[in-house]
Amino acid sequence: MKKILLVTGLVCLVLGMCIALVLGSTMSKTSSAEYCMSCHYHEQADADWKKSEHFLSKSGVVTSCTECHLPPQENGFFRYYMIKSRTGAKHMWKKITTSKDKIDWEAMRNLDHATSTVYNESCLKCHANLYPEGINDDGITAHLYYEENASKLGLNCISCHLNTGHHMPGYEHKRLEGKVMDTGGGTVYDSAAVVTAFENFMETVPGTTASISMVAVPGGEFTIGSPEGEKGRSADEGPCRKVRVSPFFMGETEVTWSQFWSFYNETMSEGRTPPEKIYANNSRPDVDAVSGPTPPFGFPDQGWGMGERPAITMTHYAAETFCQWLSLKTGRRYRLPTEAEWEYAARGGTSSPYFFEGDAKRFRNKRFGKTDTTMIARYVVYSNDSGNKTGEPYSVKANPFGLKNMLGNVMEYCSDYYAEDAYSLLSDGVLDPKGPSEGKEHVVRGGSYSDDASKVRCASRDHTRNVEWLRTDPQNPKSIWWYSDIKGIGFRVVCEVPDGLER
Amino acid sequence: MDRRSFLGTSAKVGAAVVGGSMLLSACSGKKDGKQVPLRKPGEYYIPELPDKAIDGKELKVGVIGCGGRGSGAVMNLLDAAEGITVTALGDVFADRLGSLKDKLKEERNVEVPEESCFVGFDAYKKVIDSGVDMVIVATPPVFRPEHFRYATEKNVHSFLEKPIAVDAKGYRLIMATAKQAEAKGLSVVCGTQRHHQRAYVESFQKIQEGLIGEITGGNVYWNQGMLWYKDRQAGWSDMEWMIRDWVNWKWLSGDHIVEQHVHNIDVFNWMTGYKHPIKATGVGSRQRRVTGDQYDNFSIDFEYENGIHLHSFCRQIDGCSNRVAETIHGTKGYWCSEEFVIRDLEDNILWQFDKEAAEAKFEQNNPYVLEHVDWVNHIRKGEAHVEAGECGLSSLCGVMGREAAYSGQTIEWDAISAADLDYLPEKLEIGAMDMSKYTVPVPGSGK
Repeated sequence: MKKILLVTGLVCLVLGMCIALVLGSTMSKTSSAEYCMSCHYHEQADADWKKSEHFLSKSGVVTSCTECHLPPQENGFFRYYMIKSRTGAKHMWKKITTSKDKIDWEAMRNLDHATSTVYNESCLKCHANLYPEGINDDGITAHLYYEENASKLGLNCISCHLNTGHHMPGYEHKRLEGKVMDTGGGTVYDSAAVVTAFENFMETVPGTTASISMVAVPGGEFTIGSPEGEKGRSADEGPCRKVRVSPFFMGETEVTWSQFWSFYNETMSEGRTPPEKIYANNSRPDVDAVSGPTPPFGFPDQGWGMGERPAITMTHYAAETFCQWLSLKTGRRYRLPTEAEWEYAARGGTSSPYFFEGDAKRFRNKRFGKTDTTMIARYVVYSNDSGNKTGEPYSVKANPFGLKNMLGNVMEYCSDYYAEDAYSLLSDGVLDPKGPSEGKEHVVRGGSYSDDASKVRCASRDHTRNVEWLRTDPQNPKSIWWYSDIKGIGFRVVCEVPDGLER
Repeated sequence: MDRRSFLGTSAKVGAAVVGGSMLLSACSGKKDGKQVPLRKPGEYYIPELPDKAIDGKELKVGVIGCGGRGSGAVMNLLDAAEGITVTALGDVFADRLGSLKDKLKEERNVEVPEESCFVGFDAYKKVIDSGVDMVIVATPPVFRPEHFRYATEKNVHSFLEKPIAVDAKGYRLIMATAKQAEAKGLSVVCGTQRHHQRAYVESFQKIQEGLIGEITGGNVYWNQGMLWYKDRQAGWSDMEWMIRDWVNWKWLSGDHIVEQHVHNIDVFNWMTGYKHPIKATGVGSRQRRVTGDQYDNFSIDFEYENGIHLHSFCRQIDGCSNRVAETIHGTKGYWCSEEFVIRDLEDNILWQFDKEAAEAKFEQNNPYVLEHVDWVNHIRKGEAHVEAGECGLSSLCGVMGREAAYSGQTIEWDAISAADLDYLPEKLEIGAMDMSKYTVPVPGSGK
């Protein structure tokens, strides 16, 4: 009896040791970069990793896949293996069910996705000292801000260092001091356009290469808001009201990078000026030189390209200052559209959810099966057809008024303050309403490239989120020119019809 | 767990949550009369303060800034430990350097070779590069952050006279360098010598053990007569005059709320575990100062989380009541540094520092010597010990109070710690300066 017990015990021991050995070597094998790549599945991720700081570090240390994409073992052994098996299983499933050219690497580079697959505790395990020798004052300020606010605001290392593990074309982690931005070249205009009739014209900005295609939008009456029962509707889109709008000119497209950089190159200011001083200068009635944006941190185009793509991530104040500059340069009155003008223009005479046929149910992202995007994709850059970035205007067709990208692509600033009950304060038949007289956040309209179908309807409303959109800005006071934590925001301009012009 | 890693941990846990739970436990503690510690032993740093530093490696020390405090500190160091050699001196002025050189010869028979005596704004680099193990940095405080940074880069242990920052940019450099020094295992002691004064250390321990209950506020004072000043002499350039008269100039000293009163503000921060204030509002003015561009009085209300207030009060005017002290209030009693006594809320004495017992037990009771004992001990034991993070925080508190008084505005911690405030002139050379830049601030005027 004793002998049997002893033998069984010995066998169990040997077996256990074998299992442990096999498990141990499996675990270390399956944690290597070579193993991760053995599926030939992550080709893009692998190529980008090999161009990143984590591969080409100055110290020669190579940080491989699992060091970032799994939590540190010492923070919980059991949890580590749970996450490891779950991740492995997920990848196996994806490999079996999805072909690799169907994977949208561009989309996987974005912060939200990256945050879900990178463990901040793993960053901090290696980077225990956030103040390495040689760090500059901006870096110290940012890391002190991180330590003070990480848990309060949910900040991660990759909130600011997104390209550390995988190279991202066009992504820079530095202030672009003294940089003159590319406006695309071309003729430098010596005078503004001559406008003699209420019809479409091409504005030309003297002293720059910027031109802006302006569409004459006839005045008229429309119903603002959406009827109860419209698919994807929110409560702030009602009650519906009849609103009259005077004629105006509106930019055919959202303001492009070429146009925005023309403004920036002429008005930018190096160094930080207290916001009060900027406001005081720009609000003088006789101001002849507006103070414009400070250099952005990193390339604000997110590496998607500049040129005709919509300018993004500037603040509402920066957009307003652009209009002020444009007015001074051309002698015409440029400004942001009111919310009523915006919706009137977006509808282009229609009263349906979109200015084309269909509703949000049809176009929205389907969990199972494929979304029918044939109609909407002609006009709108949104989550189901954008590839998770903005598009250039030529990629879409115009609405009945001849305006492009009113819906989708980027959210657009309006001049109105946002109020949930703004429409209930309007009387039926009101002419050119301007929204509440006071407020904290401004109206943004039209949804963005990352929004689903319900957010890109004509009536859909949203507003700025000043605090949230500046979450990772470590400066104090925070930037009044650039948002750090929102990408799909831009604007288009409106030009008031000059007095005496026949309408 | 040492003091610094505790700081790190407690910063991660929301301070509000900690405060809240502490308050709750304090209430329940009061009910049954039980003493509830603010922190567990081991979660805060208590220095060992033997009469003399342990024997060990021979150490070479350099002195950067050979004025009164630099001279005093090096003598204190020589009293604190055996096996220390002064091998290099640095100062902006040859005469100041010469007087320390002579003093060392006369009093200690120490000869510092002429080729190891460096004069000029870059003397600090030459001292640090001369092969020293440790440096005493006692120049006017505006230079401290850069000197500390360079010493740390070169793996040299620093003794940093307080304050260690006079502006926001300097504060940030201090905080970053403190982390680097820690990572390198350096020993960095600051001239806030109350941390090495037996009476304060025991008081600190009693308060951490919960004897006054949960801390609810404090009052700190440095009210004294006029400090020294130097009239301009023929042949002195603007820069030379300002540096020789440095305790009267904002950019050099940070004003007396930073330069001197930092001691008292630091005591409150020490006792409460170095949680920084959220904001400060205050008043101050210049009544009878003779030279320079500083104020001579400040009264500041610092607000911490959970509605805790610290009142800070400092004055350098002759003929007024004087007081240099700290009082800490708690839910069960209060402590005052004048008698080192803790009383309950009915004024019964709960504890008092036994000076006679300490003097019977120890020969060395001078905190200016004991801080060097602690410094050398950490160096010889090879243990990282960096006080610059704490002293940096308290220095910025002084800056925050000063800016509140100068501007007349409430100043928030988040704003001052990230501010574009840099007191160092662009060019450092003995010569003419644009003196129109050095004016006395007028609250509410934006100037």
